[in-house]
Amino acid sequence: MSKATARGGVPRRPGDEDDICPVCKSSRYLNPNMRFLVNPECYHKMCESCVDRIFSQGPAPCPVAGCNRTLRKQRFRKQTFEDIQVEREVDIRKRVAKVFNRRQDEFETLDDYNDYLEEVETLTFNLLNGVDVSATESKLTEYATQNASIISRNATLEHQESANLEARQAAEREEARLRREAARKEEEDEKKAREEGRKEVLEQLVHGNKPAADVVKESKRVELLKRRRAQQSRALPALPSGTPSANSNPFTFKGLKSTAAPTPEKPYDPFGGLTDERSYYTLQDYYEHPWLDRARTDTHITAGGYTVTEYCARAMFEAFSGLGVFVGEEVAGRGDLPGGNGAGDAVAAAEAAARAEKGVS
Amino acid sequence: MALSPAIPSPHTSNTNSVTAKVKTLNMGGGAAPQNTTSTAGQGQELAEQLNDETKKKYVKDKKIGEGTYAIVYLGHLRADPKSKVAIKKIKVNAEYREGLSLDAIREVKFLQELSHPNIPALYSVFSSKNQNLNLVLEYLPLGDLEQLIRDVDGVRYGSADVKAWMGMLGRAVWFCHENFVLHRDIKPNNLLIAADGEVKLADFGLARSFSDPYRVMTHQVITRWYRPPELLFGARYYSGAVDVWSMGTVFAELIIRTPFLAGNSDVHQLELICQFVGTPNDDNWPGVSKLPDYVPFGKDGSQSYPVRGRDFYLQTFSTVGPVGVDLLMSMLSLDPRKRATAREILNHKWWATDPAPTKKEDLPKKGGGGEARMAEDLKRRAGELEDGRGAKVARILDFSGMK
Repeated sequence: MSKATARGGVPRRPGDEDDICPVCKSSRYLNPNMRFLVNPECYHKMCESCVDRIFSQGPAPCPVAGCNRTLRKQRFRKQTFEDIQVEREVDIRKRVAKVFNRRQDEFETLDDYNDYLEEVETLTFNLLNGVDVSATESKLTEYATQNASIISRNATLEHQESANLEARQAAEREEARLRREAARKEEEDEKKAREEGRKEVLEQLVHGNKPAADVVKESKRVELLKRRRAQQSRALPALPSGTPSANSNPFTFKGLKSTAAPTPEKPYDPFGGLTDERSYYTLQDYYEHPWLDRARTDTHITAGGYTVTEYCARAMFEAFSGLGVFVGEEVAGRGDLPGGNGAGDAVAAAEAAARAEKGVS
Repeated sequence: MALSPAIPSPHTSNTNSVTAKVKTLNMGGGAAPQNTTSTAGQGQELAEQLNDETKKKYVKDKKIGEGTYAIVYLGHLRADPKSKVAIKKIKVNAEYREGLSLDAIREVKFLQELSHPNIPALYSVFSSKNQNLNLVLEYLPLGDLEQLIRDVDGVRYGSADVKAWMGMLGRAVWFCHENFVLHRDIKPNNLLIAADGEVKLADFGLARSFSDPYRVMTHQVITRWYRPPELLFGARYYSGAVDVWSMGTVFAELIIRTPFLAGNSDVHQLELICQFVGTPNDDNWPGVSKLPDYVPFGKDGSQSYPVRGRDFYLQTFSTVGPVGVDLLMSMLSLDPRKRATAREILNHKWWATDPAPTKKEDLPKKGGGGEARMAEDLKRRAGELEDGRGAKVARILDFSGMK
């Protein structure tokens, strides 16, 4: 550091102390236009002239002692961040993010998405800190080849979204500008109209022979009419001007879901997808049984709406209701219920409670 | 109270102690399963164990309402804090000291049997201390249809929305009837709305299964405004048609946004039915005069109204169109035998005509207050309206107002 300050004449600037090329040792004092470049292969810093000198003839090993990586001139670039570690991390993150560009709406639940993010972060961490680099790299490339189509689709989506956002913001800005302009114009017009009206009144007062109060009253009425007309004329063209911002680009929705072509609307099913078909019997309209005859004919019973048909349907249903029930399947299906509770548990608990109730008495 | 010999109780002499009491109570059923002796270290019976397991599965978060009949809590699964359930804790009240309240038994009995998108799910039942029965129900946060109907300024809906709601109600009723269950308390504030907009037919506190022939049923069911004429006439033998009448009145209420037949007594209710639907007599309803509590209307000078024609309905309920009016008329037929069945209703061509029913996600919703409202609905006793919206439902017919 003391060396840097010792350089007389040249005023000291922040970062000056590093202004010596680690390769050729030339300093900013000798070459005021010196620019430093790095290669994301090893991030060793060197000046532009060194890069030209060493790598113009094609790929060459890094001149920094101990670093034997082969570098290409094409990949040298200017450093964005002062800290080379940050520079490197950003590069790696960019590379990973380009491959792992899944979106939240591709996942069923937020938990899944978070798990995915964590996985990606682990991978990034490994790359950053040199843990299992070769294995991680191969994982990355494998994923990239396997999911090439999804990656490219998401990339285009992202691109589109950012473009849409920009377009929308531009449209909003334009709209705001138009609104401001319109407001300004309106104000001006109103001022002018008022001025004119006043002038007219003065004129009439000077030359006319009507009483002053009438003149003033008349002028006020006229002004009101004018203003109303002006408002109407303004309201009419304002309508179309409001719509183009919404219509010009049909894809200006933010957070659009990336669904495939919308599925055609199914016709409304009043039964909600259920049927009342019984698979083991067909219900007859009439079942002969002497016991039922009075219930069919007695007006005391039928007038209230009681029908034997319902009873028959139920009797038939109950007679066949054990068939086709497979306990194993039903038990497996119970897992879907929240709490994993089947009716069985509910029954048991209810029975327990009922029994307990009896005990109280 | 027989103590099971399988479980040694240190408190046999002192049955007033709490622990002994619990054990004793659970022996009420008599036969204690012998295999429970393996866990006899805790001295628990199998049913008690199961109950404890279920109870531990849920966490009560906060009380969202309390009524005379039940306390409602918002709760969640212990394993998944994001899940939401409503836990309805039935109070052991003075009226039913002898055991569980009938409403609670009916509710458990039918809800656990009926599994349908338009009927709220009963996830579990467990008993907590003091033998309180706790029903773990699906959490329905968006209030009920009555709220939407009454909020004339805040909520607007059209015939497509009415169609969607009626469709969901129709499915629920059809499913009940298909499984031989009469709901017997259909009204807008028993139609709760789930988070996704699905309407669910709740409150099975008055439900029963279809009756066998010659077995009487009570006619003191269904909230008065939605009660069909045969029940008002005291019919003891009836069918799913009673639910269909309620559906019809709910349908009418959804359209005109005010209760269609809001009687303030049973007699007044019958008068309103006579006036707006038609006066029942043996011509339009053969056998009506044989019903136990039949009162001849339209005689002795009082006015008799003919059964209303299509024109009246077209005028009053014009928004649902002529096809919808036909459906409504078929639901509000005086003679229960001529009334449409739930299946016929769902087969009606109104569902296929324009406008198509609104998708459930797009149905109008009421913002806020849902939690409290669900609590209100759950804690109410079956067959009751809350105060301020008509008097309480009389459970005994009173004809003292008649001349």
